[in-house]
Order: sequence, then structure tokens, then C-alpha cells
Amino acid sequence: MNRQENERAVARQIAELPLLSSSASQLLALGAAADHGLADIVRIVKHDAILTSRVLKVVNSAAYARAVEIHAIEHAVSLLGEDMVVTTALREAAGLLLAKRLTGYAAEAGELWRHSLKTALAAKLLAPKARSPVNGELAFTCGLLHDLGKAVISDYLEQTAGKIRQAIEQGRFPDYLAAERAILGIDHAEAGHKICRRWQLPAPLAESCRHHHQPAAAERWQGLLYVVHLADIIAMLSGIGTGADTLQYRLDRDYERHLELDEAGLNSTMLAVEREFAQVEDIFC
Amino acid sequence: MTSNNKVVGVGEFAVSANQGERIKTFALGSCVAVIFLHKPSRSVGLIHVALPDSRISPDIAAKRPGYFADTGIPAILKEMAVLTGTGTSNGLARGMVVKMAGGANVMDTNNTFNIGKRNILALKKILWPLGMGPAAEDVGGGFSRTVTVGVASGRVFISCAGKGEWEL
Repeated sequence: MNRQENERAVARQIAELPLLSSSASQLLALGAAADHGLADIVRIVKHDAILTSRVLKVVNSAAYARAVEIHAIEHAVSLLGEDMVVTTALREAAGLLLAKRLTGYAAEAGELWRHSLKTALAAKLLAPKARSPVNGELAFTCGLLHDLGKAVISDYLEQTAGKIRQAIEQGRFPDYLAAERAILGIDHAEAGHKICRRWQLPAPLAESCRHHHQPAAAERWQGLLYVVHLADIIAMLSGIGTGADTLQYRLDRDYERHLELDEAGLNSTMLAVEREFAQVEDIFC
Repeated sequence: MTSNNKVVGVGEFAVSANQGERIKTFALGSCVAVIFLHKPSRSVGLIHVALPDSRISPDIAAKRPGYFADTGIPAILKEMAVLTGTGTSNGLARGMVVKMAGGANVMDTNNTFNIGKRNILALKKILWPLGMGPAAEDVGGGFSRTVTVGVASGRVFISCAGKGEWEL
């Protein structure tokens, strides 16, 4: 397929993506709402029998080593917290998409999901370091979704992974995004933005997909977008990427205007991300 | 003899003289793998170091010394000394070949984000005085390496998605 055909095919696939469950959409949207609490989460989860059973399964999983079994959903939600309930809901609603093998990036099944989860954890940990207030739960959700577009465009990148790497090393493309655009007319950031729009998710989530590699280009929510930008890089540096494109992106050094993060702060954040990831990896990956 | 893989996670290390074994560590990113090849005893060690300095978390250093360069190297060398029967690090240095891989960085990195470079420097500063400076290395750049070493062959292979596999 040529570039125009690829672009049309990607647009068609996005338009045909199944919608998220109502409970997953509501939970993802909740993070962007200023005032909400655990009671709102409980209310949404309670209306979805499958999600309720999943949340109870997660809260009682061996990894948490609880002394007693939790039966009440209110109790489960308060123990897990908003981020882990959102993770459970997204895994349930879009697990096939987010855990699929990314042939176009030479990434195995599950790699995108692991990268998304690690980025989400890093984003939540970085949020308090932003110079303007950034909501940690919102940052977490943005981290979970930021690379969504790869799940769709991967199919059209076909066997390009090795060639793109080589072309970037030879200076023919500034980064992986530019290569994606050259082949498909669209990159994974823009594709992710379109998927969020299709799913009618709140604007900050869609914008964090669109601008996570170039946060300076965004008109709003720059603090949040720089948090997701750095969280993505932290996940890649820690070895959890999505195959051939891992680390083939540019650090926007202007982050210093938006976050207070020195060498010691970064080291501690990496350590904390590793610890939290180890805790939830067995449950969700 | 069948070849069994011993997998080393972040902050872990493994030593082996089992000639049928291979030691493997996945997706190093900015982490660094140091590979110790002790030819006289045909023993191999591999450590997956994440950060240069344990002072940021003595708790983790106590539980998982391999996480940091300064606590990890003494910990693995202690086990290598026992395994090889050499006793001291002086004895160990004779006949030891050290290789290093990893320490990647993101494009346009600044000093703060160049954890890979800091890891490499910290490790070298520890290894040089022991007479165990790396004889070969594949470090830096923007890719995440997976490393495999065969105990019997002492050969070290690096692979990366989209780049294939090559020998160090």
C-alpha cells in the first residue's frame, strides 16, 4: 500500500474500533473531572457485574497477600485505589487491543501493555513534581493510554522496524514519529488522539496521546503533558518499551520549566517506579 | 547437553559453572549488564545494575545489592570468589575477562536523564582498581539490549528489536 492508502486504511480501522464499555469510559473520564471521590468509582463499578467481579479478583489476588478475602466492592475499591480500578477496567475493556503483538514494531504480545502500565505509574509519581498542579490520577490514566495509537498503526508498518531504525541512525529521520508519518501519513500520537476522540474520552486524555513526544506543541495542559512525556522516557530507559522504537524519540529539555526534577529526584523516581511495577506486574501483565 | 537459560532480572545477578547453562538478561535500557568470564574455572557471572549509587536507598541495597553499582559489584564478586575457589578479588582478577553492555539513553538527552552514562562510569570506577576494567563493551546509544552468555563457550551475544543479534 502507498502512503495515501495506508492513511485511509488507518482512519477506517479507527472508525471501526469497538467502543469501550460504558463503565470503562466513565472511569477514564472521571480522572479528568475536578471533583470526584471513591464513592463515584464505586457507583460506576457497581453497575457493571463483570467489572465488579474483576475488581474483586484483583483485590484478592495472591500478589497482595491479604489475610482475609474481600467481598464488598466498596472495600475493594478503597484498598485498590482509583488507579488500579481504572487499570482493571481498561484491561477488561480494551485488553485485546492494548496487549496485542505489535508486528510493525517487532514487539511481542503484552509489551505495549507493560510499557503503558509502567508509564502510568511513572506519570503518577512525577505529577507532584510539576510546577503547576497536575492531578496524579489523571496523569496515571494518560500514561495508560498514551501509546494507544501504536496498536492500530502497527499493522500497517509491516516489516519496517529494522529499516526505520537504520534510517534514524543514518539521520534520514529525526525520530520514529517522523518515520511513521513518512510511511503512513499519520504517526502513533495522532492515531491515539483519534482513538480517544472515537471513544469520546475527555480532551486531556486525547491531547496527551497527541503531544506526549512534543509537549511544547500543545496549547493547554502543558504540565500534564510534560509529565507524560518524561514518564514515557523513564519507562523506556528502564527497559520497558514497545520494541524497535524504544528510545528512538527526543527528550524535550524544556521540561525543566514545567517540572522540578534533578538527578537525585530522577533516580528516586526510577527506583519507586520499579518497586510499584514489580507489585502490580503479576496481577495485570 | 541441553542449554538451560538462567534469567537475571533488574537488580539481580547470577553466577554459574554449569557448562550446560546460559545466563540471560532482558531489555537493559539505561541499566548495564556486567559479564564476568573466569576462564581458568570456566565460570561466568552476570549482573544487571540499574543505578550507580546505593545511598539513595540503603533499604533496597540491603535487600537487593545488585540494583546499584557500588553494592552490586562486591556482591557478585564475593559469589564468584566462592564459586571459582579463588578466595580474594586479587586471585579472581587473574584469568578474568570482563565485558559490559547497556547504558542506553534517549535522543537529545541532558545530564540528568543520562543515567546510562552514569551507570557505566560508576561501574568502571569500581572495576578498574580491581584490575577488572572491561575488555569489551557495547554501551550507550538509543536501544535496549538483551544479553545472553553461554557458560561453556564464554561467548556473549547482544540482541535488540529491529537490530538483530551480534557478538560482543
